[in-house]
Amino acid sequence: MSEIVIDSLYKKYKPGLFKKPVEAVVGLSLRVPTGTVYGLVGPNGAGKSTTIRMLLNLIHPDKGEVRIADKSVSAATNADFLHAVGYLPENPYLYDHLTLRELLRFGGQVCGMSAEQIAARIEALTRQTGIAYALKRRLHTFSKGMRQRAGLCFALLHDPELVILDEPMSGLDPLGRKMVCDLILHLKQQGKTVFFCSHILSDTERLCDRIAILDQGRLVREFEAADLRAFRAGERCLEDEFVAAVEGVH
Amino acid sequence: MLQRVWALALVTGKEGIRDRSLFGILLFALFVLGLNVAVAGFFMRDLGKVTVDMNLAALSFAGLLLVFFIGINLMAKDIDKKTIHLVLSKPFSRGEYIVGKYFGLVLLVLSTLTLLLLFSSATVAGVHAMYPAYFGGFTWSVYFWAVAFIALQLALLCAIVVFFSAITTSSFITLIFSVASYLVGVTLEEVLFYLKSQAAAGEVVASQTLRSVLEVVAWLVPNFAAFDLKTEAAHGLALEPVRLLTTAGYGCGYILVLLWLATLIFRRREFN
Repeated sequence: MSEIVIDSLYKKYKPGLFKKPVEAVVGLSLRVPTGTVYGLVGPNGAGKSTTIRMLLNLIHPDKGEVRIADKSVSAATNADFLHAVGYLPENPYLYDHLTLRELLRFGGQVCGMSAEQIAARIEALTRQTGIAYALKRRLHTFSKGMRQRAGLCFALLHDPELVILDEPMSGLDPLGRKMVCDLILHLKQQGKTVFFCSHILSDTERLCDRIAILDQGRLVREFEAADLRAFRAGERCLEDEFVAAVEGVH
Repeated sequence: MLQRVWALALVTGKEGIRDRSLFGILLFALFVLGLNVAVAGFFMRDLGKVTVDMNLAALSFAGLLLVFFIGINLMAKDIDKKTIHLVLSKPFSRGEYIVGKYFGLVLLVLSTLTLLLLFSSATVAGVHAMYPAYFGGFTWSVYFWAVAFIALQLALLCAIVVFFSAITTSSFITLIFSVASYLVGVTLEEVLFYLKSQAAAGEVVASQTLRSVLEVVAWLVPNFAAFDLKTEAAHGLALEPVRLLTTAGYGCGYILVLLWLATLIFRRREFN
């Protein structure tokens, strides 16, 4: 079980001492059932990354609650719920002086994996993401696309039930984008829950079981299976719906 | 829990050891140690004392550079570059993160200090062999105790760096507060002693307010001077076990309190 329930979430930021608080997330409620691929789309500053950070307890909501597998994230006194979570941040910054193998070994160790399990997962994941050739290289020599691939391996190393990806296609070439799409589809086949945000609507439309449009911290539209079937059949266009939903708010 | 703390400590230590600035600091320390051999002959009677003092000062200064420039950077980089998002998305509690980072810094300091101690011991032994007559009271045990207390002093300084990194959002502010704490901690005992001796001698005394403020500061800021055994090592003075135990206990207690406070604050912190 790795269902996500977001219930009436509010978050305000104070950009400066004498500045007016900015509403980053306003009354957001979502439900991501187990085994679903859920896409969160929206313009820049819509509150997508803030929502993801609240899911991981990196920031605390002003009001509302996040529950993962029926356990409140904000009320969690320890980080045990993170055993089931894999996270790829937008533009992952890694430990520059470590090699990729050292970074992944660290990721496995902190998740309580044995040395054999770690070695096997490193082998499989780096092959799957096409970065096995760079295992001995230090991370400061990596290009943006390689960092993204390394970040994906780090997120998936402990085979989490829930995968949270913040702009997973960012910085990737077409081959890299295809690799990420295939990876998400593979996770879906395995019954994992995937929650990701992206600006690339075509990929989101292709991969997701549900899509939500977020703008100015508010949920403005949510598309379910029937809508997605219509998008894929070419009867409706996600891009048009996105523009209409966002422009309707402004 | 221990596995997670150790894994983060190891990663932090490796990051520090592979930082190019470390080579600069090591080269500088080795240059001072080498210089000691070259100029030892100029000091005649005080040759032994100067050699020991200069060696310990070089170790201590290299350690300070290490903590202030590499240690602070290791803490700040995680937050500035958002590497912390990646780390805290793993099953790490905030407390484990603080303790892991702290032990990583200590690991870096101890490994560097061990390397420098090898060179320093060779330097002292070399000068000792060249001018044995001027090393009358010198004993290796006191010398090693002095180095151990430099290590403890630096471990305490690492805890201060971790504490200020947990409460501030800028590495520059952490640097300023950590350097200020160190300078106050090194000099305050002497300042208080001076004020007391002024009062005892009936000279012009500082206002009661100033003395009260300094007394409060003395309780808040660790007394770094307590860890300085250079004089004892240079003059070959005997060390009282009670003093060693009390000072070690004081240092460890301070470290525990700082890490506990840092964890409490860090738990409430948000990472945007």
